[in-house]
Amino acid sequence: MKPAQFDYADPRSVEDAVALLQQHGADAKILAGGQSLVPLLNMRLARPAVIIDVGKLRDLDYIRDDGDALVIGALTTQRSVERSELVAREHPLLAATTRYIAHPQIRNRGTFGGSIAHADPAAECPALAVALDMQITVVGPGGARVIAAADFFVTYLTTSLEQDEILTDVRVPKLTPGTGWSIQEVARRHGDFAMAGAICTLTLERGRCAAARIALFGVGAVPVRAPEAEQTIIGQEPNAALFEEAGARASAEISEPLADIHGSSEFRRHLAGVMTQRALTEAFSRAEAR
Amino acid sequence: MTAKRDVSLTVNGVAYSASVEPRMTLVDLLRGELGLTGTHVGCEHGVCGACTILLNGQAVRSCIMLAVQADGAELMTVEGLSEDGQLHPIQQAFVGQRGLQCGFCTPGFLMSVYELLQHNPAPGDDEIKEALGGELCRCTGYQSILRSVRDAAARLRGEVPAAATEGEA
Amino acid sequence: MTPDLPKSLSDLPVTAPKWVGKPVNRIEDPMLVTGRVEFIDNLTMPGMLHCAILHSPYPHAKINGIDVTAAESLPGVVAIVTGEDAERWSRVGYTSPEGWGTHCMATDKVRFAGEPVAAVAAVSRYVAEDALELIDVDYEPLPVIVDAHAALEPDSPRIFEEHDSNVMYQRDFKWGDVDGAFAAADHTYTERFRWHRVGANPIETFGVISQWNPISETLTCHGSFQTPAFMALGRAAMHRLPTNKVRAIGQPHGGSFGGKGGGRGIDITALLSRKAGGQPVKWIEDRLEYLSAGGGQAWDRFYEASLAVNDDGTVTGLRVKLLDDLGATGEGFGATGAAKPMASFTGCYAIPNAEYDLTIVATNKLPASPYRGMGPPPHNFVLEQMMDIAARDLGVDPAEFRCRNFIPSDQFPYTIASGNEYDSGDYDAAMKKLLEMADYDALRAEQEQARSEGRLRGIGIVSTIEPGVFDWNAYAVIGQKGVGVPEGVSVSIGNTGKIIVRVGFPLEGQGQYTVAAQLLADYFAVDIGDVEVVAQDSLSAPTNFGPGGSRLAVALTGAVLGAAGKIRDKFVRVAAKLFEVQPEDIELMDGKLRVRGVAGGAQLTVGQAAGILIHRTDLLPDGMEPGAEATFVWSSPDRVPPDDDGRVKSYLTAAYACHLVVVDVDPETGKTEILKYVIVDDCGTRLNPANVEGMIDGAVAQGVGAALLEEYVYDEDGQLLTGTFMDYLLPTIHEVPATEKAALVTPSPFTPLGAKGAGESAIHTTPAAIMCAINDALLPLATRATEVPATPNRLWTLLQAAKQP
Ligand SMILES: Cc1cc2nc3c(=O)[nH]c(=O)nc-3n(C[C@H](O)[C@H](O)[C@H](O)COP(=O)(O)OP(=O)(O)OC[C@H]3O[C@@H](n4cnc5c(N)ncnc54)[C@H](O)[C@@H]3O)c2cc1C
Ligand code: FES
Ligand code: FES
Repeated sequence: MKPAQFDYADPRSVEDAVALLQQHGADAKILAGGQSLVPLLNMRLARPAVIIDVGKLRDLDYIRDDGDALVIGALTTQRSVERSELVAREHPLLAATTRYIAHPQIRNRGTFGGSIAHADPAAECPALAVALDMQITVVGPGGARVIAAADFFVTYLTTSLEQDEILTDVRVPKLTPGTGWSIQEVARRHGDFAMAGAICTLTLERGRCAAARIALFGVGAVPVRAPEAEQTIIGQEPNAALFEEAGARASAEISEPLADIHGSSEFRRHLAGVMTQRALTEAFSRAEAR
Repeated sequence: MTAKRDVSLTVNGVAYSASVEPRMTLVDLLRGELGLTGTHVGCEHGVCGACTILLNGQAVRSCIMLAVQADGAELMTVEGLSEDGQLHPIQQAFVGQRGLQCGFCTPGFLMSVYELLQHNPAPGDDEIKEALGGELCRCTGYQSILRSVRDAAARLRGEVPAAATEGEA
Repeated sequence: MTPDLPKSLSDLPVTAPKWVGKPVNRIEDPMLVTGRVEFIDNLTMPGMLHCAILHSPYPHAKINGIDVTAAESLPGVVAIVTGEDAERWSRVGYTSPEGWGTHCMATDKVRFAGEPVAAVAAVSRYVAEDALELIDVDYEPLPVIVDAHAALEPDSPRIFEEHDSNVMYQRDFKWGDVDGAFAAADHTYTERFRWHRVGANPIETFGVISQWNPISETLTCHGSFQTPAFMALGRAAMHRLPTNKVRAIGQPHGGSFGGKGGGRGIDITALLSRKAGGQPVKWIEDRLEYLSAGGGQAWDRFYEASLAVNDDGTVTGLRVKLLDDLGATGEGFGATGAAKPMASFTGCYAIPNAEYDLTIVATNKLPASPYRGMGPPPHNFVLEQMMDIAARDLGVDPAEFRCRNFIPSDQFPYTIASGNEYDSGDYDAAMKKLLEMADYDALRAEQEQARSEGRLRGIGIVSTIEPGVFDWNAYAVIGQKGVGVPEGVSVSIGNTGKIIVRVGFPLEGQGQYTVAAQLLADYFAVDIGDVEVVAQDSLSAPTNFGPGGSRLAVALTGAVLGAAGKIRDKFVRVAAKLFEVQPEDIELMDGKLRVRGVAGGAQLTVGQAAGILIHRTDLLPDGMEPGAEATFVWSSPDRVPPDDDGRVKSYLTAAYACHLVVVDVDPETGKTEILKYVIVDDCGTRLNPANVEGMIDGAVAQGVGAALLEEYVYDEDGQLLTGTFMDYLLPTIHEVPATEKAALVTPSPFTPLGAKGAGESAIHTTPAAIMCAINDALLPLATRATEVPATPNRLWTLLQAAKQP
């Protein structure tokens, strides 16, 4: 279980990295924290001819307060996000979400940008990206462009990143005042990828739900929003029955979830509803407490 | 053949340099090239935790890191825990509380515990579990490991008199 | 001459044992926590090559040809072997049942995905794996059988053409008047169960370094062998070598649990070394190989069980029909797991009539291996569910129902229907203690409360036997030969009283070296640090087997005490001569040889006595052999082959345990949460209580894995879907509950010091207990979980079906 041979480059600037990507095209693969890529290399399931190790791009390791959003450099480790005081204060949902990723030993290496770029449909950060409409900055030969999360995840492990582009930062909108949040997932073991999960935010205004976001993961080829379920509660007075209905809607509106040994398609669909209901319930109680 | 790369790193305070194929994993460098065989390999895909070491003070998997990624880093492995034949308090606690059976997983656990106790000298059980959820042990059922970590924390806080457990190491 | 072995701790020659019976720290641990133990992969040798094995991607295919030319020309590749080399230099492997074996690499066809097809020895594992990609194998796929029932069909494709079906073994054992018992019973109950494949998965996989010496024609293998002597015997047969030409050196290893496997790996590296002209060849099985092609899969079973019960709650008959899917071959002793349940067939219960209708079938899956417990855990799961089913129907509390059927404590030794004899026990006392510790009535009240709130709360209570100290005769019915499993050690004492004990098995994790040191430290009243345990290779060690079948602590105790006794006898004669008294007048007590009943008289220390035996042969009694050393080989007394009905006195001891577990099943997610876990166990005299507790804790975790998480899943094309640790789910620290434990001690009348086998421990009990608890939780919904593991998806599916009118 050893990687096949590859050439290796460790560029010191984003420009150099992009130039290398341009040069090697489909033969190249970016290596960030390596927590998804290196297992695949070890199993020879990924066999790039060239590894472009972006680990030395230390200026992509930051968490910045940008007013109504936090901006996170792609190379920031999941652990840094989880432990950041700024994140704890300004975005507890973000901190809570990263804590669901695997275990500390993985998060110490795994990067925030890597998790988004890897686009595992059962992963937490991509779902958060979709939930919050994060803005994803990528840099290519033509310079930088910003991709909305909704347009970023194409299908299983596939994004709209071009072959010669590198993800450089992610803009994570903060929650507006009066907004409660929750992440709920069910996994076989603590720390495993989710069989199904839901991230919800819920904004209360004068006792009614003014805004709601529901993102589901582990239930399709990409993390998805559940717009019908969102509409079910927006404008309503939140209560248990409403959350149950929203859960049922969410469960019904997703397309055929991927089945695997841990959960049938039907079971995952069901779980998506349960997680939605639980997340809305918790988000609501957080919103009330605000 | 792809070009080899020079890697310089410090392990347990000793500076090493080696010329490696880029595809070599860090654990293979440590064990195979540097002869530091205390770090073990159980899965090579990041799940079991037997290969956990400290990289710049943080517990990481050395099986899913390339050696070249550790260029310039400071590493610590189980060999760096005890000094002059004296077991580190964490090791003493594992011996005293039976935190091991076959001992194959132990180096990984010790390194993860080391990181935990650096940040958190008095962890609760939930915090211990969170820190060790990514370390698999097939022998102990973890109960004695929990005890060991509690005991290690107490020892490091200076609370346990040195001979509190039987057959003190 | 067999010395008298101490029957209890008070028979040891010390006023009060200082080490034996105490939770003494393990002497092996300081080396382990510092990472200084020589696990096999830590070892390198001059000229050593690294092996990588090419595994078949097809579960069933003819091999029309293998082209290795491209691989051979890769720089760094030294040797390549295929089935042709295996045919030239080795034999078809030994199997039980007999005649279901293959060479270590496929010759004509492959029978499971993962079967070795070729192997490379190269300068590094990296290069060896590169070379594998250059080997071209021409496969012709054959129809695949994964389903055990389909494999029984007359027109099913054959795994072995030379057999006229895929049935490897069939026999219907009947003990007592089973048909009569069922005909006469007031109630009968029948249910089907499915236990999916699980397995050992020690954190260290298998590893070996083999070296063929072309001049002396000898084979030397270092490896993570559970039983080096036994491995050596197998290799000698395999490679057509005299047994004294194979040296197996067991490295300390990272757990085994019966599932380290590795036979093929040793043979392949041996062939490679031979082909490479004698360079040593290392193979470290990687985790993917372990999961798909190693020793880690066991117990793939379909059960149908029936119970005959009278109105008063006495169980009069048990029928168990088992279809055991052994996978592609009979290698690796997997089938012993189907025979072993006979050693405790009726559990803790006095069930006079029983039937075991056993069919073992071959399919295109990895050949099954042993796993801790060796077969009874699924059987116990079945029996305990049946007990609950009957208790529920009769309206009797499950604990009470078990008590009514327990073998009474005054009936030991007790012979069960299937012929094994239980040595001692007090099951009733254990159950009472369990219920008291758990505050059973309060738990039931809380359960009522939980149920009224719509929660699915369940309480499982089970009692099981752990057969201890195996003998080959336990597996004779499925073709294992022999009676007796000897364990030998040799002990020698130096002139300063320092002791060496030489054993034939490597460190594995159970703490046996500590037990040996404890015994000798007390026997000769030295510090435990004055005893050194040395592991010897298969050509040096006394006759021995090593760990397995919950035997080693007992067998080792017998061997160590026997050897110590022989040395003591010499000491006594030396002292008698010096003190000019009769040997009968001399005693060894607290490390001193002295004249019985004479306080303050002349005495000799152990070191002095040893010194005389070594350096003053002039002072020895006439004809005495010099040297303070002795070898003793212990084996279970009174074992014989099975009778015509397959009944046999096999396992020497019967430890037992009662477990109580409380769970909540989340009706929405199907997840099971363990809320409370209480254990009362009795394994006789506890030589080192901390060792025993460690065995319990570890086995509970494996039981949790088996009941809730672990499962090898094959798809219908015979491909393994759980080939990584991301999919084969070992329990983590989050999933394993803390347990409250208490011990009873009913010494075995048959073993030295009264200890019983305790190494397999809770794996016998935990899966049954958790499943009983889950079924108790599901009771209000009138549904039943009969499939293990009880995954969220499975439980949710049951709940869905139960909701439908
Ligand atoms: C045992 C284990 C358990 C895990 N459990 C979880 C879990 O529960 N939830 C979860 O979300 N994840 C889990 N992971 C995955 C982990 O979070 C990874 O860290 C993450 O998926 C990828 O981040 P990375 O930095 O390690 O990326 P890498 O592994 O380095 O790269 C992953 C992919 O993203 C690409 N990439 C990385 N960075 C960039 C960039 N800046 N620009 C363009 N492309 C880039 C790479 O080319 C590669 O294709 C687990 C991993 C392991 C080993
Ligand atoms: S060997 Fe690195 S996590 Fe298992
Ligand atoms: S002690 Fe054996 S795996 Fe942990």
